[in-house]
This record gives sequence, structure tokens and C-alpha cells, in this order.
Amino acid sequence: MVKGYLAFVFHSHLPYVRHPEHKQSLEEKWFFEAITECYVPLIKVFQELERDHVDYSVTFSLSPTLLAMMEDPFLQERYAAYLSRMQELACKEEERTAGDPVFSPLAHMYRERIDYTAYIFNEKYGRRIVEAFKELQRGGNVELITSAATHGFLPLLGIQKEAIYAQIAAGIEYYQKIFGNTPRGIWLPECGYESGLEDIMSELGLHYFVTATHGVLYASPRPKYGVYSPILTPGGLAAFGRDPETSQQVWSSKEGYPGDYNYREFYRDIGYDLDLDYIGEYLHPTGLRGNTGFKYYRITGPSNHKEPYNREWALEKAREHAGNFMFNREKQVEYYGEIMDRPPLVVAPYDSELFGHWWFEGPQWIDYLCRLINKNQNIKLITLGKYLELQYPLQLCTPNASSWGDKGYNEVWLNGKNDWIYRHLHKAGEKMIALATNFPKSEDILRDALNQAARELLLAQSSDWPFIMTTGTMDSYAKSRITSHLIRFLKLERQIWENRIDVSWLRQLEATDNLFPHLDYHLFQNLEQTVAVEKDKLAEIT
Amino acid sequence: MHPSSREYLDGEENLPLYYGKDCLVLLPRDPYWLFAYWEISIPTRQRFEAEFHKPWDSLQLLLRVYRYDAQGTGKESHFDIQIDPSADNWYIKAGVPNKKYQTELGCYLPEGGFRHILSSNLVTTPRDSLSDIIDENWRLPDWQARRLYRRISRSNLSSLEMIKWGIPQQ
Repeated sequence: MVKGYLAFVFHSHLPYVRHPEHKQSLEEKWFFEAITECYVPLIKVFQELERDHVDYSVTFSLSPTLLAMMEDPFLQERYAAYLSRMQELACKEEERTAGDPVFSPLAHMYRERIDYTAYIFNEKYGRRIVEAFKELQRGGNVELITSAATHGFLPLLGIQKEAIYAQIAAGIEYYQKIFGNTPRGIWLPECGYESGLEDIMSELGLHYFVTATHGVLYASPRPKYGVYSPILTPGGLAAFGRDPETSQQVWSSKEGYPGDYNYREFYRDIGYDLDLDYIGEYLHPTGLRGNTGFKYYRITGPSNHKEPYNREWALEKAREHAGNFMFNREKQVEYYGEIMDRPPLVVAPYDSELFGHWWFEGPQWIDYLCRLINKNQNIKLITLGKYLELQYPLQLCTPNASSWGDKGYNEVWLNGKNDWIYRHLHKAGEKMIALATNFPKSEDILRDALNQAARELLLAQSSDWPFIMTTGTMDSYAKSRITSHLIRFLKLERQIWENRIDVSWLRQLEATDNLFPHLDYHLFQNLEQTVAVEKDKLAEIT
Repeated sequence: MHPSSREYLDGEENLPLYYGKDCLVLLPRDPYWLFAYWEISIPTRQRFEAEFHKPWDSLQLLLRVYRYDAQGTGKESHFDIQIDPSADNWYIKAGVPNKKYQTELGCYLPEGGFRHILSSNLVTTPRDSLSDIIDENWRLPDWQARRLYRRISRSNLSSLEMIKWGIPQQ
């Protein structure tokens, strides 16, 4: 008899970053590193679990911008070139460390990993990494879900319901184009929820979403089982609340697993440590030092003194942490099981990019944990969709407006560093709705211009730009991106109304900001005429 | 982005400072704070300058913030914030979670009273504690509810608020 369920949700997202105008771009490297260090290692873990007939279940969200980058031939080409440079560096590292009993096995490990990544990317999936996710979904253990088209932070775009509708609908449509099926669930960007979103999500056929802990805990009426059972929102979708214990065990700066002294140190990288004569050609052409992914030290302790990485010790630790995590879940479901009339569900969402990149041993930890749970009779892994199929009656509640950002609400995306963007985003949203409503029919260049205007607006709406402005690193990039997309949008909008579209400029935009090739601008049409359920809500805001 | 790509596609253009349309928009930041931004178009400013026989900069502008109950039906109270005529946004300490708020931008009349210029949308501040509405069909016995919230609050980020507001104290 299962005493409780554990639902892992891995949320994978990067903003749409693509710079054909530059030979190399620092920002594209975020994407390349994430493939090498996170997505491929996670795929490998899941494939090996499947091979060994381990009964595991995970929910995996892939943001539409990330999928679009994975599907973009230009970025595929660039990543292939990046990989072969890394393969070359891996060989040089093997030569450099040859004979050294400590560093040579590590250099060998990195070469094997890069070669494996190159095999998976180039040979096995012909550069289309989404094929691996399709395969995993067909295997039945991985449930793929979508997110808002460009990861817009919906509570701050909600002044126009059409903007929310377009973000969500475009995300679902792109998912359908790639995976063929309709996603059951959606990852609300940054877990950003406000009341009213569920009507749009339900209208678009979604069954569930995930909120921060206090999204469900502070729902009204008070949810009987806290976050350990989903609630049914007025729109008819289920809302799952994040379990605070599982996030603390991984994230807490004091007790969190990734900080263990045996784990690999992120900040010691040969990109910083070795002579520029040797490493320079693998860094950014400006000579700017940066990460290469070749890291040979373990965290060791709180000081700057670092000892060499020992892979066996690190894996032993990952095994121990997996055991500890499972033990804690057993205790947790036992505790809540005494209160509840059903097995408690522990929802544990994480950013995929934590695993492998920041926490190098994270993918192995997942592997060990899935194998342990497979043999455990008290806990079972489950996807969010499969949990709903168990058909426990759900309590009807309205979730609380919330996010999983710092302080739990909207402040990360709305503060003195980024608040200036909203007057522009809202105005552009208003103008896009006017365009879509005034041009119900269009052809050729006009249609292309309208679709491109919709693309530029969606790109401007990414939650990443205000987030980066708040954190302060790379904020000039974020400002520049949002400004560019808004300027492009406004210029297109003017040209459309004035009936003088600059076709060659439009084609350049289409080639540069080229995501969602099938995007249809009609998604921005005035909802008042199309969604009766929203009418009363609209009355409130106008 | 690198400057060259901006030049390549966007030329010398910059974002407009004004859109030429009146607007006042209210956004919730958290259970206690709101953010308002506005634009008052030149024709509107001129209209008010003419009405009051005063330059815009010497008008006494204010934001009047109205609080409604959670259903948005009953007006509970309001307060005023004096603002600088050159400001175009303001963080407002609204103070009460789970209430609806709306704001009006206006100015004090020389003879006293308030002259309305713009109205905002209505927003709701989020809760920062457990709801006190309980569905009788979904009620846990008190001792079990205490067990549930005690453990959640141990690792919840907002546990302090939870302990303060949410957990039955007996």
C-alpha cells in the first residue's frame, strides 16, 4: 500500500537568445552550457532508468523559447561548432594532465562526457534534441508540459487578458507543433499566479498548473490538506502547491545538498585558472575570462582553499543524499498521512538548470533517488497528470496571488530597477490588440508584418529581462533586448497603420527574431467578443 | 545586446517618453504595496491649466487611493498621497492584504475639495496568511489542523507570517 506520492517537476527555461550578427555571443553560451551540462545529462539519466526498467515518473516542462532554440538550425549549427571546440579542448586537457594521478582521470571524465554529448546531439538525434524528449514521453514515464510562450510574468501583464491569452495559447500551440499532443499541464512562469488566470487556462484546455507554497496554502476557502493535495480552482483546473521541505533540502544555503564539501566547486574553472596563451582560444574573442565547464576542484570548505575533485567521493555523497531525501519523504508522508484521508502528494519543482550545471552531481542524485524509490513500498513517484487520474475528490478553492520569486509575490519583476518597462509593455499590448482586432483578415506582407509584431511583443514580455535587471548582472543586455523588441514592435505597428511596410526590414526581423514560425497574430484579438466568461472581469479593469 | 545589432535593425530609434494618451495603471507588488504609473497628455494638462488659470507644475496633484472589500463591492476607506507634478509613477503603501484597491489621480481645488483627472483599474492585494473562510465540508479537526500547519510553517519561507496570522494559538 502506497503511503504517499512524490511528484518531481523539472522546469526548463532559457530566454530566446540568438545573435547571428556576432561570431560568438556570451548569451548563446547559456544555452550551449545548459545542453551539455543539464539537458543531455538529465536525458541520459532518464534513458538509463528506462533501460533498467526502473518505474519512475517525472513531470518536465520545456519553455517554448527553449524549444524554439533547440529547433533552430542556426543555433544547432553553432552548438555543433561549440561542441567540437570543447572536444578539442578536452583532448588538449587529457594531454596536459597526462601522468598526473589526480587530474588526469578528471580530464578523461570530461572528454568522455563531451564525446557522449556530441554522440547524442549529432549522431543519435541529428541535432534535434527535442526528439529525445519525445522518446521519453512515449516511454510513459515522463510527462511533458508547456509554459507561457516567452515566459512572460503573467500577473504583471494581466491588465490585458488578451496578453495572457496570447502567451498561454502560443505556448500550447508551439508545444502541439513539436510534440503532436496537447499538454495537460502548464508551468506558470516563475509560478506567477493571479486570480482569473485559471479561466483562460481552462478555456485553452489545460488541466493543471503549479503554484508557490502560499499559492495553494493561502487559497480561499482554506485548503483542508495544505499543499499535500491539489485544489480545484473555479476554472475547473487543478492547482498543485509546492512543498516547502523538498525545496529547502535542495536549496537552503545552510543545509542544502549542493553545498556539500565533496561536491564539485563551480567557481574554479580552467577558463579562469589557466594561462590565456593556452585557454584563450576557447574563451570569448575579446579575451574575457569565463567558464569552460572544465572544473577540477571540490568545494572543500568555506575558504578559498580548494582540494582536487574526487569523483568517487562525490558520487558516494550523491547516493547518501538520495537516501536521506527518501528517508525524509517517508517520514513526511507518514506524518501527513495521519491527517489525511488519502495518500499525501509532495510536489517538488526545481529548475532543470540547477542539475548538472550548478549542482554537477544533481543528475546522479536523481538517478540514485529514482532507483531507491522504485524499491520502496511506501512512496511512489508520480506525474501531476497521473495523480489527477487517481480521481481523489478535490476541494474547490481560489488560489492566492503569488510567485516563487524572492519574497513570494511580484517584487522581483516590479521594483525601482525595472518598473519602467510596464508602461511600454502595456501600451504595446494595447496596440497589438487594436491591430489584431482591426485586421481580422490579412494577406501576404500585411499578415507577415502583423505576425512579426506579435513575435516582437511576445519577446519583449519575457520575465527574464526584468529579472536580470533586478539581479544586476548583464542588465545592459536585458535592457537592450526589451528596448529593441519594443522599438521593433512600435515601428511595425506604425508601418502597418500607415500602410507602408518596409519589406526588406521586415524580412530581416523575421530572420533575426525568428521563433514560433506558425505564430498567428489573431491570438491577440479582443477577448470581449470571444470569451464570454471573461466579460465581468474585463468590466472591472476598464 | 551588442550595440551593432541595435544599429543594424533599430537605427537611432529610442523608446518614446510619452504615448500621448491619458492613462493611470495600478499593479499589485505584494500584500502591502501597490505601484501606479500614469501619463497625462498635453491636451489634458492644458485643459486643467486653463480651468485653474495656473501652470501645470503649480497644481497640487494627488493620488486618492480607495480600498474596497475583497469582493470589490463596498468602499471601505480612502487616503491621499501628494505627488510631485513631474512624477509619473509612485509606490503606494496600501497596507492591507486581500483587499481591492483603486486609485484616482486628481488635484486639490483652490477652494478645497478634489478634482478628478484619471481613474485606474482595480487590483487585489494578495493574502499573506491562511484564509479565514472555511468550507465546513472540508474542515480538519483543530488538533489535526495544528499538526498540518506546524510542520508546513517550519520550512515555509513565510512561516513568520503564518505563525503570526494563521495558526490557531490555543
